[in-house]
Amino acid sequence: MADQNKPEGAENFFNEILSPCELFAARSRSHKIPARGQKDFYPDDSEEQKQRLQQSLDEHWSLISEERVERLGNLVKAIWSPSERIVELQTPAGKFWQTMGFSVEGKQLLLPEEALYLMECGNLQVFHQDLPLSIQDGYEAFLSSDSVSLQQYQVFGHLKRLGYVVHRFDPSSEPSPYARQLNLPRSKDRGARQLKRKRSPSPTPTSSKTAAKSQAEEMEEDDKLPESHLVASAAPQTSSSGPAGEVQARTWWPADVPERQAGQRSAPGSQRWDFSSICFPDLGSAGRLAPPDASLLPGGVMPGVCDVAPWMRRINLRKVKMSVKEEERERRQRRRDVNKDREVRRCRNWAEYHELLERRQAKRQGRPAHLWSGEVQPLHDPTQPISTAELLEKISVIKSTNLLEGAARFKVSEEWRICFNVYQPDSVADFKKSNPGKPYARMCVCSFDGPVPDLRVIKQLSFQSGDVPIVYAAVDHGDISFYTFKDFQLPMDVYP
Amino acid sequence: MEAELRPQEELSHAPVVGLSLCDSAPLLWRLQDLKAVRSEGLVGALLGSLPRTPRQNIRLGRPLLLLPEEERLLGERRGAAALPARNQEVAGGELQQHYAEEQQRSFEEQSVLALEDRKSALVRAMTSSSGSDPGSDEVLQRRLLDLEQNFSFPRSALAVQLSTARAGLSHCPEARAFLEADWPIRAQHCPRREARFQVFRDLRGRGFFLTSAGKFGGDFLVYPGDPLRFHAHFIAVCLALDESICLLDVLCVARLGSNVKKTVLLCSPAPDGPVRYTSLQWSGMV
Repeated sequence: MADQNKPEGAENFFNEILSPCELFAARSRSHKIPARGQKDFYPDDSEEQKQRLQQSLDEHWSLISEERVERLGNLVKAIWSPSERIVELQTPAGKFWQTMGFSVEGKQLLLPEEALYLMECGNLQVFHQDLPLSIQDGYEAFLSSDSVSLQQYQVFGHLKRLGYVVHRFDPSSEPSPYARQLNLPRSKDRGARQLKRKRSPSPTPTSSKTAAKSQAEEMEEDDKLPESHLVASAAPQTSSSGPAGEVQARTWWPADVPERQAGQRSAPGSQRWDFSSICFPDLGSAGRLAPPDASLLPGGVMPGVCDVAPWMRRINLRKVKMSVKEEERERRQRRRDVNKDREVRRCRNWAEYHELLERRQAKRQGRPAHLWSGEVQPLHDPTQPISTAELLEKISVIKSTNLLEGAARFKVSEEWRICFNVYQPDSVADFKKSNPGKPYARMCVCSFDGPVPDLRVIKQLSFQSGDVPIVYAAVDHGDISFYTFKDFQLPMDVYP
Repeated sequence: MEAELRPQEELSHAPVVGLSLCDSAPLLWRLQDLKAVRSEGLVGALLGSLPRTPRQNIRLGRPLLLLPEEERLLGERRGAAALPARNQEVAGGELQQHYAEEQQRSFEEQSVLALEDRKSALVRAMTSSSGSDPGSDEVLQRRLLDLEQNFSFPRSALAVQLSTARAGLSHCPEARAFLEADWPIRAQHCPRREARFQVFRDLRGRGFFLTSAGKFGGDFLVYPGDPLRFHAHFIAVCLALDESICLLDVLCVARLGSNVKKTVLLCSPAPDGPVRYTSLQWSGMV
């Protein structure tokens, strides 16, 4: 809305300042966008089309030209600090503080992209040297290739306008793959530097009793896993032994249990037994059975030696009654004379006879020599049962892989990096900046002019992101397209 | 007065638009510049939030981002100039004083307007409820006087403008004057870029409107008229004449085109001048 009160001169040709009268009248502006009508197919130079075009254009210009007018009371005042590249709030923050900004030493601060977005929404007025910044000033001052680029801001704004909560991605605040493996609960402090050093997830095994005990206590405190009380009870016992391998009353639990138990996802209450040292009684051997280890039994029970002889007598020792077919087979075998066998006569020595026997055995079992004794053997014996999945696995030429295979060895590249964490819009009500939780997705911003991410980049970014999917936002001069790569397993089992 | 009018006449003959770089992207901020560029048939892409409804992505507002081909065309026609950067003011200078004075003046004017508004609302309410009763007239006058004496316009109710373009308050004299068309041509020496520019210039010269077509797998979307009123007819894919393309790529792009009901144009600028166009149409074998 160009200035209507002053005469149209060169001075006012580019002046987009509203007069106080216009500012006051802006209170009663409509907040609706007119719907766009149907488009035509081909221009035919008709008056009707020209008129409709002019109408569309006029509507377009009136929407685009509207300036932001806000009540001073609704605006949060802030100051831009170019040296620190941060915006500091002077008046208390509004509702946006729930999902944006961070505080340091009592001051409320906003990142440049957040401040610019709020300026565009009309919630924030940023001053620099006591003069307000226009949106153009904001774009030129806040966005640059070394902090947040214009393309990244486009993606940021697009997602924020849809309602998502978008934060900058900080690779150092992500847990290391080892910590992720141990599945430790994380506590994050976004923005401000972490004051407490992160506790190392795995205490190194030491032989001092106090060290092991204090570690067990520490883990009991901050892990709160069901195993923790077991750890506390096991620690005093193992700490007395130490890893040096002293003689103990029980050798069933391996010495390094306390360190590993914290991370194991075993069922609560179960222990890992060292089966090499447990001797199970051999019931097959006749004679006597040694009594069980006294430490296994509840206190006070003293079994005697068990005599298995009467039990063995009670085992069914009757002669097997064969069916008719089986009896016939037995008779036939007894009648057949091995000396009359032609193939046996051809054998010149015992070695050849043994080979003949083996061949016959193999053929009987379905493994003929011409298939199985050569260099190239069949992949699978058809007489053996096998599931479809395993069979497909045997005949597969290309091995299937998943996205994260081998990803750990790639170093983070310079040109591709994850820019933002994105959280769902419906979680805004109970969103906590200090503990945002797991993001819905992570954004990597690229452009249609640039290269397509290759497999190496996809692997290393997925690895860096952990179990959060990565979405690639391809920016094309105003249009943003979102792409994601998913792992897919081909079905292997066939169920009839 | 006359002195002011003359520059305006000059301006209407030679609209030079002011471009400003943001992160090495050419942006247009001023409404007159957007209009001028549109009248030359360059569409661009809007990037910012729309002031009226900032929390949606369907209609966006200023700034306008130009395609590199649009920027180069403007430069060649000598129609673009660099907008001056923001004045590095010194704190506590006269600009700040001017700003404070403007705010105060605006506040005073708006208080007056607010009072008038309230008065007229009161008059409307009183006359509609009581009709033309002589006694009520006196009551009305008394009420109006009361209102005037007790009325206060709080500072927080002051309506303030958040400017989109940098103008006015920075008071750069250059921003208001006739701009010198000195935009440098930031050509990128790449055969693909060159091909794209040749095709763009040729199609624009024939009256088509072009926008970017990354989503459609091509270089440009070609509209027969203004994109506000017409659908795109073609997807232009720019290739150098000696560039060889795989048949599968041709199939891909033809499939894409038929799916979105647009004709695919393979465009190649010939070294001797005219651009060669080949259109792909999916035809059945009868």
